[in-house]
Amino acid sequence: MQIILDRARCEGHGLCAEVAPKLMHLDDKGDLILDVEQVDDADQASVQAAKAAVRVCPVAALKLC
Amino acid sequence: MTAMDNIVVVGNGIAGTTAASTLREHGYRGRLTIIGAEKHAPYSRPALSKSALHETGAFGTVVSHLLPAAEHDARVLLGVAATGLDLARRRLALSDGGACDFDGLIIASGIRPRKLRPDLHHERTFRNIEDAERLRELLRAQPRVAVIGAGVLGMELASACAAAGSSVTVICRGKPMHASLGSFLAELISNAAVRHGVNLVPSPALDVRDSARERGACEIVLADGSTVTADLVLTAIGDVPNTEWLASTGLLTGGELRVDSRGRLAPGVVAAGDVAAIPGRHGHGRVPLWMSAIAQARVAAQALLFGDAAPPLDHEPYFWTDQFGLALKACGPLPVMGEPAYMAGKPDAEPALMRWQDADGAGTGVSVNYRMPIAKLRALARQSPSPAQAPGDMVQAQGSDCASHPIHYQG
Repeated sequence: MQIILDRARCEGHGLCAEVAPKLMHLDDKGDLILDVEQVDDADQASVQAAKAAVRVCPVAALKLC
Repeated sequence: MTAMDNIVVVGNGIAGTTAASTLREHGYRGRLTIIGAEKHAPYSRPALSKSALHETGAFGTVVSHLLPAAEHDARVLLGVAATGLDLARRRLALSDGGACDFDGLIIASGIRPRKLRPDLHHERTFRNIEDAERLRELLRAQPRVAVIGAGVLGMELASACAAAGSSVTVICRGKPMHASLGSFLAELISNAAVRHGVNLVPSPALDVRDSARERGACEIVLADGSTVTADLVLTAIGDVPNTEWLASTGLLTGGELRVDSRGRLAPGVVAAGDVAAIPGRHGHGRVPLWMSAIAQARVAAQALLFGDAAPPLDHEPYFWTDQFGLALKACGPLPVMGEPAYMAGKPDAEPALMRWQDADGAGTGVSVNYRMPIAKLRALARQSPSPAQAPGDMVQAQGSDCASHPIHYQG
């Protein structure tokens, strides 16, 4: 699956990075950087982390497809 | 492991939907039903007062609050509320006259706005997407607005109304957000509100009535006998947990749904989200915040499946607000007392990054118009205080960066 960031919506809370630190982080300016955009569907830990990251965002700036 | 095969979630907000998803993520494959009083898929409630009110599209077109579709594969009943619970028979009564049996129950029925009086037809409250759409529509006429209550919701509403061109009066008992944030941050927010033209009136509202002088307008009567005239009255004076349907169950303690550190209430019954009173540093209390609701829901769902083997709630509150050009984020206990140490920025200017140390040794980190990862803000809150400490790696000073990346109020 692919993680897609809608940068215009992102407010830089970083709640996603907190639940999925291996997939994304906020840079020094507070902008979200996706370290992993393509998640291996067989990698259950990463899939769960990606789903948690999407769900925790209060402005729905992330989605999976 | 559990033998549960029929779990029902009451509530389809972020707590209810997170709980349902968590059940699936932890291997629950049995029947799953969600009962939601609102007629909508779960949405972001924080976005309603922060950004949805600033959208300018036609009625019914707000998008700021929309969340991705849930993947819990539950049967979802929308527009149906739970009206009663028979614990012994494991059966819910529903507002459509039906019933719903369960062997595991997750209570996430949320809260509703407290009202000044039940019979005040002038009074508007703000909780759901319908309220947001209606208010957005009303603001097009730039009514004179009176906001009663100056907690985070009242102040965000005041900010949105002012941004829409309305003249705004905020009626409150003390400084805005004083109770929730403490005097220092209350001052910061008050000053910003005043700069944006808001009239702050520190006097309790006693009554709201039709204006004797202006047809269609109303008057708020204040404790000192004076009145404020407005076309639109918004009250934001706190909330009431939706627990009436549990009144005869024995689950309520002093009117509260007091859960343990894993969200448990009774065998096979857990609660999460705004409705739940969770154990904290100063006893049980409700923590109606976005991240708290999510963290509680994860814990409660796991506790329903795994009991004591599930992890207890271990969540530090994260609070944020956007109002009057200020984007404020806080990790650690609130309110904060006294003056902060400045890790970046300086008094009376933004961006700023501040830290407080309370008497118990707990720290609170607060950023204002200063973008930084929440993990770093949490780390800042936790670190031991050291006045001479340079920001260094811990917190990068970024004055010019912030200036070139301002946080716009409309997000």
